[in-house]
Amino acid sequence: MIQFKNVSKVYPNGTQALDDVNITIEKGEFVFIVGASGAGKSTFLKLIMKEEQPSSGTIYINGINTTDMKRRKVPYLRRTMGIVFQDFRLIDKMTVFDNVAFAMRVIGARPRAVKKRVHYILGLVGLKDKAQSRPAELSGGEQQRVSLARALVNNPSLIIADEPTGNIDPEMSFEIIELLNEINKQGTTIIVVTHEHDLVQKFKNRVIEIQGGRVISDTGAPSEKAEIPIEISKEQLAEIPEEIAEEIPDVSEEELNREALEAITDGEAAEE
Amino acid sequence: MRGFGYLSKEGVRSVWNNRMMSAASIGVLVSCLLITGAAMLISLNVNNVVEQVGKDNQITVFLKDDIDELTAIQKVGPEIRHLDNICDCEFYSKDQAITEWESELGPLFGELQGEENPLPNAFHVTMVDLSQYGETVKSIKSVEGVDMISDRSEVAKRLTDLNRLVTQVGLWLVAALGIVSLFIISNSVRMTMYSRRFEISIMKSVGATNHFVRTPFVIEGIVLGLISGVLASCIIAFLYEAMMTAVKYIVPITEIPYDQLAVEMTGGFILFGMVVGAVGALISIGRYLNMEGGEILGW
Repeated sequence: MIQFKNVSKVYPNGTQALDDVNITIEKGEFVFIVGASGAGKSTFLKLIMKEEQPSSGTIYINGINTTDMKRRKVPYLRRTMGIVFQDFRLIDKMTVFDNVAFAMRVIGARPRAVKKRVHYILGLVGLKDKAQSRPAELSGGEQQRVSLARALVNNPSLIIADEPTGNIDPEMSFEIIELLNEINKQGTTIIVVTHEHDLVQKFKNRVIEIQGGRVISDTGAPSEKAEIPIEISKEQLAEIPEEIAEEIPDVSEEELNREALEAITDGEAAEE
Repeated sequence: MRGFGYLSKEGVRSVWNNRMMSAASIGVLVSCLLITGAAMLISLNVNNVVEQVGKDNQITVFLKDDIDELTAIQKVGPEIRHLDNICDCEFYSKDQAITEWESELGPLFGELQGEENPLPNAFHVTMVDLSQYGETVKSIKSVEGVDMISDRSEVAKRLTDLNRLVTQVGLWLVAALGIVSLFIISNSVRMTMYSRRFEISIMKSVGATNHFVRTPFVIEGIVLGLISGVLASCIIAFLYEAMMTAVKYIVPITEIPYDQLAVEMTGGFILFGMVVGAVGALISIGRYLNMEGGEILGW
């Protein structure tokens, strides 16, 4: 769950990016954040990622007040999130596999777990056969799917996508949002920042509009979202084809995130 | 620590990927180490010469003209031997002295034998500790029949001063070149970091700790220092042998064999290089660790 309570942000140059914002996003929601350039959308995301500090107000992520969070604990907070950027931010000299694996390696994952998990995630985003390709050899849509795979690989409970369709054609944009919808159905909270109103209207998701740093409209969560199962049941697992099931790392989301959550909540004992 | 193998590989790989900058850093660091090493070797050798002179702590005590051989051996000699700080006292007659002069300077001095001999009788006195030179000379001079004493204190003083100068210059050189090395390594790692700022921003966005971001760059600095240390050790070993051959041709001194210094010099160079590399990298990375997202990319 993400909660903004009376959050304002004024940059050192005097720009008021957010003004007394109050937003609550429940676990498992899919939310579009819309607004014109300079409306405060990016600042909203930066505050969630703890790249910026609010000038006033309080922010809660998964029940933890991140406003006064110590710097050394921020990496552990970020491990519970996956970020998708408009410009993909893929490393050209690395293969698709290594770009995705990079996110696991830098948090100290074991090589065996990396290999297994990355292949599984690439299969999930439909890029299994492109594992050894370089980003430059892929289309814009494919590159964004690699970026999405990298965001997903550490099994985050929240995906933040900053203008994920900004650099790809409309058809691919639809596919990317569709893919995010599928991920959302597994219980992952999704926040998509976009200024493409047409795309937003095609999907029946919650839409929050920001203008001049203030929330000017919020459609609220569609009622059916509340019924979305957060965890995969044993029955659902049984329906997964055997060849795919074998490749799913036998690590649950809770297990993957346990270390990160412990580090955030347990204080000094879990520090690096 | 999990992921250390991966981070180490990344650090080593970075040295190769930025090989032009790495080569420049190694070149400068090797030069610094060579100058530092040369200053140390000169200091050690001057010190060695001073020690040799110190060990050769023999003085000549000349007796008055009216003291004959018998009085000298029976009276003056035992008195000198009983003084403090005297190790040995050997009689050196004026006949021995003139014979020696004759063999060294020519037959002209052969005519000055017997009554014609103008040289005084003397004793060759060896001191236990040359640092007590002044007090011992004073005691010897107080012995009846002693005329004058050959003075070696000036030579010892000059060598000690020279050694002090070389040591001080060496220390200043080490300090100055250490700072230059730090600056060079720090810049080299900063260049690497600039070229990899994109990766750093991604690392931070996916939750890499500062420790994980920092490690490959510190390893890169250490590897640069290690390579420089090994190279400098090999070069200085070769140069030392060549230089000492040339110096001995001009001044007949006994140098310290390089074999005796090899372990300390090689170890010192490698350790110095690695420490400078690691500290240089830490100085550079600190700036990036405090930045976030677009800031790292300069947006």
